[in-house]
Amino acid sequence: MRPRTMVFLLAGVGLAGVLLLNGAPAIGQAPAKAPKSGGVLTLAQREETPQGFAIHETSTVSTTWPAMPCFSNLVIFDPLKQQEATDTVIGELAEKWSWQDNYRNLVFFLRKGVKWHDGQPFTSKDVKFTFDMLREAPDAPAKLRINPRKDWYANVQNVEAPDPHTVIFHLKRPQPSLLLMLASGYTPVYAAHVPPAQYRTACVGTGPYKLKEWRKGEFIEYVKNPDYFVKGRPYLDGIKYVIIKERGTRVAALQAGQVDAAFPGDTSKTTAEQLKKAVPQMVITRAAENVNENVIMNTKKPPFDNVKARLAVAHAIDRRALNQAVHQGGAAIGVSMPSKPWGVWGILDKDLAALPGYGKPADEKAAGKKLMAELGFSPDKPAKVEIVTRAIAVYVDMASFIINELKQIGIEATLKQIETAQWHAMATRGEYQIGANLTGIGIDDPDANYYENFACNSPRNYTFYCNEQVTAMLDTQSGEIDPKKRLALVVDIQKKLEMDAARPTLTWRVDNFAQWPHVKNLVPHNNFYNYGRLQEVWVDK
Amino acid sequence: MKTYIAQRLGIAILTLFGMSVVIFVLLRLAPGDIVDVLFSAAGYVNPSEKQAILKELGMDKPYWRQYVEWITQIFHGDLGKSYRYDLPAWQIIRPLIPVTVELAILSTIVAVLLGVPTGIVSAVRQDSTLDYAMRVFSLAGLSMPSFWLGMVIILTLVSWLGWIPPLTYVRPTENFWLHSVQFLLPALAVGYRSSALIMRITRSAMLEVLREDYIRTAWAKGQNERAVVWRHALKNAILPVVTVIGIEFAFLIGGLVVTETVFNLPGVARFLVEAILWRDYPIVQNLVMFIAIVVILSNLAVDLLYGVLDPRVRYAG
Repeated sequence: MRPRTMVFLLAGVGLAGVLLLNGAPAIGQAPAKAPKSGGVLTLAQREETPQGFAIHETSTVSTTWPAMPCFSNLVIFDPLKQQEATDTVIGELAEKWSWQDNYRNLVFFLRKGVKWHDGQPFTSKDVKFTFDMLREAPDAPAKLRINPRKDWYANVQNVEAPDPHTVIFHLKRPQPSLLLMLASGYTPVYAAHVPPAQYRTACVGTGPYKLKEWRKGEFIEYVKNPDYFVKGRPYLDGIKYVIIKERGTRVAALQAGQVDAAFPGDTSKTTAEQLKKAVPQMVITRAAENVNENVIMNTKKPPFDNVKARLAVAHAIDRRALNQAVHQGGAAIGVSMPSKPWGVWGILDKDLAALPGYGKPADEKAAGKKLMAELGFSPDKPAKVEIVTRAIAVYVDMASFIINELKQIGIEATLKQIETAQWHAMATRGEYQIGANLTGIGIDDPDANYYENFACNSPRNYTFYCNEQVTAMLDTQSGEIDPKKRLALVVDIQKKLEMDAARPTLTWRVDNFAQWPHVKNLVPHNNFYNYGRLQEVWVDK
Repeated sequence: MKTYIAQRLGIAILTLFGMSVVIFVLLRLAPGDIVDVLFSAAGYVNPSEKQAILKELGMDKPYWRQYVEWITQIFHGDLGKSYRYDLPAWQIIRPLIPVTVELAILSTIVAVLLGVPTGIVSAVRQDSTLDYAMRVFSLAGLSMPSFWLGMVIILTLVSWLGWIPPLTYVRPTENFWLHSVQFLLPALAVGYRSSALIMRITRSAMLEVLREDYIRTAWAKGQNERAVVWRHALKNAILPVVTVIGIEFAFLIGGLVVTETVFNLPGVARFLVEAILWRDYPIVQNLVMFIAIVVILSNLAVDLLYGVLDPRVRYAG
């Protein structure tokens, strides 16, 4: 064989190998197009962003979705992978990172030459500033007006910036979850030279897009950041978030092509079916929101201070019927962590049946009735309670269903709707007996969920459930560095919480994210707080 | 006339003062405040942080002092600062006003153009098929909420044409054609409802006047129908119609909430509701005062128009 032929042959074999390794298109599948630069992406925004771009001061997708393009994190979940997990975390401002001292120190090596949108250089000082502010360190140079995720950093002893391009998080004990918390859309790095309050009205980030204009109540517009630290990104020239308050108008805008993609969490199963019928080429992707519907029961007020009453409620509510009635079968069933394919920690279907509320509906109702009878109540002589919920359709639908279920086991509940302005104040003060609630969790991770919603004294533990045994279990799983062992511990916690009816989960919401086919690389994650960076998105028009 | 206007302006100032007290008190009576809403967006409440924010916003001061400060600010041409946006309230409110005023004017024009002629024809052709058809048309307008009609228009357009009007505000200087389209459809939706009311008032006023002796005299003198209807009947029947038009216009300034929401127009009414939900007192207080001023001025304009339309109406002085 001539050397030249040999070279071609080797090159051919090499190319085939590269294609196979990188996922060559399957037979019958159109080959992936090369991304194009240019174009403006128009997205629907369901409401005005509550606190501008101050992601650290809010806990809503209404802020993360339109504010994320401005910022960068140390690390982020791979935008092209739907399921988030430890192995999908990729570097952003951190080029690489390393767990050291048996997961007690997390060292980040930062990118060089990164600039803030105002031209200032990004250094480790900005990272230290951000996380000292978030964990409210005694010597923190700034304080947030509202700090909803302070508890995420409770295990951080201090943040050290030994040189401009290295940051070390020193932990009190090993906590593998910290890396995932840092990858959330809720964890951007703020600029040390910008007062945190300024983010409520403007945005100085290091992200792929620079804020061009925020016309209050109308739109938020970004342009490409020419100094973005990833060469060749972003592909888009800009993004425009159009604020459309009315849901019907948002759907019409998507259908008419005035927006290129829906707002995350906005497209129910029914809406998706209607859209698909009207526009067959519309791309619908089912993705979990990482938001669950649950029942909060005040463990300090009768009758729910008695575990039997709480368990009776857990038994009474037929989750599958609720899913059919309220979500037309579009939600997912699971307990306090979402199960596969919507999450990585949830318990298996076969184990669900053994938990209160997941058996045969008639048996479950009978079990609930029996427990209430032990407390002296029956459908003829019911316990009278007030069920509270937010005055929003999705909440009221759920509460109405619960009322009907409870009636069958001897609990007569009357509905009280609470305005949004009052809801969290009421829940935090425990001024309720039972409520229908929605809980969103920033990442699919036990630490983020359990410390926030089930730990003693957490401000978001609205039920005041406090169990020392569970607290110990939480700490043990949190410090476990072997993923398999940790999963087993988390499964035990889920079972324990269900048996205590601490905050019975009803369903996990699943979005039917809708986008036009010309939008490429916008992959909805199984958590709608985390895929708003959009640096990989391009339009094929 | 001058004395009359001066008297009306005096009453207007007293009314505005009363309004300022009422809106100030009502807002404080509503449960919750901006800080509760801010914490709601964060998903928890921290009493000490809440206290700090109340102090930062000046909401820890006694109510009477907050009221005096607000009124003093107004006299100095300062509307205060939006709690939500941390920006001067005027900066927030100013762009909203032209949108709502334009929509209200266009809706009123549509209402008058539809309502007055149909009311006249309906009265002149009383109990004819045309009259019945127009009465059904107007009854339908009164029965259909404008927001529902607006949504039907949008859904019909998107289903049939795959198109809807622009959803971000297009200034007339940017693109006059798109701007017109953007306002025409909501103006039709709102104007149709108002036209139904105007039509019915016009019809009943015309019917009353058409039975008067002087109309019979005009017919007896051999005047043609156009002269009798337009010159003699309409001129005498128009006063109640003008009153209703004035009331409708004033109502539209604050009452376009759902239409502005459905058509995604950034106007006063939609923003007012949002501000109420956020308990953004400076925005709510000043927007309500703006609406009150429009109502007072439109009432004054209607009263002055009486004198122009009917020389028998004379104001003392």
